[in-house]
Amino acid sequence: MDNLQAIMPMLIVTLAAMATMLAEAFRRKDERMPIGGLGVIGLVGAIAAAGLLWDRNAVGFGVIQADNFSLFVTVVVAVIGLFTIMFSSEVVEREGIPSGEYYTLTLFSVVGMMMMASATDLLVIFIALEIMSIAVYVLTGIKRTDAAGTEASFKYFLLGSFSSAFFLYGIAFSYAVSGSTRLDALSTAIAQSASAPGPMVWLAMGLLLVGFAFKVSAVPFHMWTPDAYEGAPTVVTGFMSTGVKAAAVAAFLRVFLSAFEPLRGDWTQLLTWIAMLTMVVGTVVGVAQTNVKRMLAYSSIAHAGYLLAGIIAASAIGKSAVLFYLASYAVANVGAFGVIAFIATRERNTGELTDFTGLWYAKPMLAVLMAVFLLSLGGFPPMAGFIAKWYIFAAAVNEGFYTLAIVGVLTSVVSVFFYLRIVVMMFMSSNKAELEVPPFGIVGTLGLALAAIATFYLGILPTRLIDLATQSISTIF
Amino acid sequence: MSLTLILLTPLVGALVLLAMPRRLEGGIKIVANVAAWAGFLVSLPLWWQFDPSSADQFQFVTRSPWIPSIGAEYHTGIDGFSALLVLLTTLMGGIAITASWSAVSLRIKEYYIALLVLQTGVIGAFIALDLLLFFLFFEVMLVPMYFLIGIWGSDRRLYSAIKFFLYTLVGSVVLLLGILALYFHLHAVTGVYSFDVTRYYTLDVPPRLQFWVFLAFFLGFSIKVPMFPFHTWLPDAHTDAPTAGSVILAALLLKAGTYGFFRFSMPMLPDATREAVPWIALLSLIGIVYGALCAMAQQDWKRLVAYSSVSHMGMVVLGLFALTPTGITGSLIQQINHGVSTGALFLLVGVVYERRHTRQIDAYGGIAAVMPLYAAIFLLMTMSSIGLPALNGFVGEVLILQGTFVVSKVWAGVAGLGIILGAAYMLWLYQRTMFGEITHDENRGLKDLGLREVFTFVPLIILAFWIGLYPKPFVDRLAPAVQRLVERVSPEIAAGAAAAVHAVPDAHAAPAVPATTHPAPGVH
Amino acid sequence: MTITPGHWLALSAALFTIGLIGVLVRRNLIIIFMAIELMLNAGNIALVTFSNLHQQVSGQVFALFVIAVAAAEAAVGLGIVLALYRNKETVNIDEITVMRW
Repeated sequence: MDNLQAIMPMLIVTLAAMATMLAEAFRRKDERMPIGGLGVIGLVGAIAAAGLLWDRNAVGFGVIQADNFSLFVTVVVAVIGLFTIMFSSEVVEREGIPSGEYYTLTLFSVVGMMMMASATDLLVIFIALEIMSIAVYVLTGIKRTDAAGTEASFKYFLLGSFSSAFFLYGIAFSYAVSGSTRLDALSTAIAQSASAPGPMVWLAMGLLLVGFAFKVSAVPFHMWTPDAYEGAPTVVTGFMSTGVKAAAVAAFLRVFLSAFEPLRGDWTQLLTWIAMLTMVVGTVVGVAQTNVKRMLAYSSIAHAGYLLAGIIAASAIGKSAVLFYLASYAVANVGAFGVIAFIATRERNTGELTDFTGLWYAKPMLAVLMAVFLLSLGGFPPMAGFIAKWYIFAAAVNEGFYTLAIVGVLTSVVSVFFYLRIVVMMFMSSNKAELEVPPFGIVGTLGLALAAIATFYLGILPTRLIDLATQSISTIF
Repeated sequence: MSLTLILLTPLVGALVLLAMPRRLEGGIKIVANVAAWAGFLVSLPLWWQFDPSSADQFQFVTRSPWIPSIGAEYHTGIDGFSALLVLLTTLMGGIAITASWSAVSLRIKEYYIALLVLQTGVIGAFIALDLLLFFLFFEVMLVPMYFLIGIWGSDRRLYSAIKFFLYTLVGSVVLLLGILALYFHLHAVTGVYSFDVTRYYTLDVPPRLQFWVFLAFFLGFSIKVPMFPFHTWLPDAHTDAPTAGSVILAALLLKAGTYGFFRFSMPMLPDATREAVPWIALLSLIGIVYGALCAMAQQDWKRLVAYSSVSHMGMVVLGLFALTPTGITGSLIQQINHGVSTGALFLLVGVVYERRHTRQIDAYGGIAAVMPLYAAIFLLMTMSSIGLPALNGFVGEVLILQGTFVVSKVWAGVAGLGIILGAAYMLWLYQRTMFGEITHDENRGLKDLGLREVFTFVPLIILAFWIGLYPKPFVDRLAPAVQRLVERVSPEIAAGAAAAVHAVPDAHAAPAVPATTHPAPGVH
Repeated sequence: MTITPGHWLALSAALFTIGLIGVLVRRNLIIIFMAIELMLNAGNIALVTFSNLHQQVSGQVFALFVIAVAAAEAAVGLGIVLALYRNKETVNIDEITVMRW
């Protein structure tokens, strides 16, 4: 019974995914079915299940651990999925996306993300990684007739499989070191040989690092991100940039801070360099972009850098900061991409900066919401992003990583510049006719409103979530 | 409880406005004015209920947990200085909103909402006694100001808005690093995570750390003040902002910087403060003279007043960092004065701008003939700005000069030069715009001040005379706060003053003490 | 000559490297794809080798899982290539440049 309990959230979402698949199969040609609704039910059920499992530390089949950490990430990912489905329901018909397959893939990807956060065995992490990624590769190219989309999909697929191969090779070496793919066995084996780790350990660590760095889009494995984010349908980009990152960071945290913990002194140095480079490259190249989706892609690279800084700090504060950051980054980013998706028309759907000109005069509420999301991403009070960044930098400073904190703070300031650029565009009056924004219904509005409320709530009253995050950390580390 | 009421009144007003339909323009303006002046009325009790003789460092204290896991609290309270600042804020807020009645026609609902949110932010910054809470409000001030300049400003408003925003943001972010460093030092020393300002007042901070944190704080606050050489954002922001924006920027936002020095930098880092005095004095003096010279060269009326702000604030910082009771008192009074007089000057520019839509000084001339009431008020405020006795500016300047004189005669001399230059450019401005023949025909038909406009000036005129003729109530309210600061940064002066107090009854035994506690001039 | 685990590892490393170079150097999408499969199989060989080393079966089981996953990936990947081909009429990676920097 415990086994099933531990995988309950994932099970519910899987069932929902299968239901959507069947619904699509049995749908007659032009029949309109609320397939997205099935997804919403599944995700809400998963969140409820996660809530019920809190503090229970259920273990499933010896490899899935539903501890507070994985439940936290499960809820974050489910919320991301919810927002994505809410925004997609508006956009799916407009963009000519086959809805049944789209929702099914999204839900399966969510299952993969949940599994990645909950797994304590490298094999299961690998399988979860593949479930999540393969679904997302297809989602990226789901608009079959769009050249940019299929190109993005293929590039993502290529580099994704490439990194999975590295990851697999790393798992092979971990297996060599410990004789098992379980994280605790690996941890014991490394701890025993901590004073003189053999070449196998270094290889394992390095290869696993490459695999994770790719998924998290850390420099220098970030090259796929701008193309994939730009070419994918905007709602999918919102999903990718938040969900995949959350799951990858969660797994990264678990693997490196439990299994490779004894070698922390060694990989911290390397990771610090990667984090600093990631923050700088993401910010600096982002400034040069004129396409909003690409700009946000580089911004998400920079955010990966901040998350890495939290991992490097590795104190209790650092780890709960990472969790809080994931939550606040998720709502703000998904909201921002939602707005971009809403203002796209059939002709004007590439997400250029000029698409935003004068949005405030056409749809002031949308412009204000976008400004809220962008300011949160920039780390501005009283939005969630401020508390999140503060927390991460505080953790870094506390552990003595002053350079990292300073680089983080400075890039944060520079990044405000490119977020502001979009804000400025929105408030500039345009010489052309007033901006045309296609109508969107109650579901989309509700989604955006909820995301904005969450952003403010986490910024002004973050205590609840911080406590939850701290509780989550104490269960595993 | 009452401080939170003062803090939230403008915010409630903004929320009410949010719910109102856009078409009801008249209704929106009325609600905005009601909210602003209600905010002022609600804050008035601070004047009477503040007790200068109380032994508490802060009064009206509210303290409740906010984020316990990191030690952040909702901790607010005021001392004499912040009480005056809050009153100034609510007053200027009301005046700014009333002054905008006919000045803004585009998106007025959002305009008033921005002003009211800005009001909340500024009040919050002045009452926060928790470092994180203060920082939050310090940053929150930036966003509505950015929109005010960027949407309702003139000419190069987008450029000025972004420049303002990013410039001050860089400073704030460095300030945050300083706060973090202090925060972790507190934890290392006491084992407690806390942002409570009063804890930091008693914290022993090693000199090396003090130096770096002071530098970080300095960057954040000096950009706000603005001090030379971080002042370049101010002229652009002021000239391109709408009138109400300029008024609030000059009267209030600049004070957030000097308030930061007074509340945080100086009492928390006394050793670094003492070491920094020569440098800060140097930058202030350069600011005073350079600001004045730049003002003299301006063709744009608003830009001239903006540079005059740089010069005046230089004086304020000089008085503050003289670290003498007189100097600090003078600086604090001068901050209130600057708010009143420069706020009034910007309002005055706004009045003619509304009529003529130009800020060029040579587009005017001889206005006094057609707008006598306006000319009278303008003259009054010019004199206030220059520092004519009987008006508020004199009190502040004389105290600052005296407080600086005992530290360095040279500094006081250069500051005095700044005052002379101030008189020069202000009088010249007045002469060019008000006196002489009317050179442009457009000016002949200008209407004098309307009732509403006069109403916006009346409180400022009253304050100008009140502080100028009878500053005692203000000085009394400031005295305990000044005393506390002096004890912290200049213990030898405080000890000497205490000895003087004891020695006064016995005139023969009075040792040679610096008589800097008496505002009467020419003692030494 | 006795075949030691070292030999197997060398084989695995060689295959991995060949696959790596293939991905980086070749221009044809299908060939690049094959190279990735090669890398995955190199991992499989390593897993089986270590399984033999530890005298356990779990490595081989893992390898079977990987084969299944790789097959799924291949199916999806070829589907993407097909969609790409329908849009661009080419399988040469140099010509797929809709998106630049």
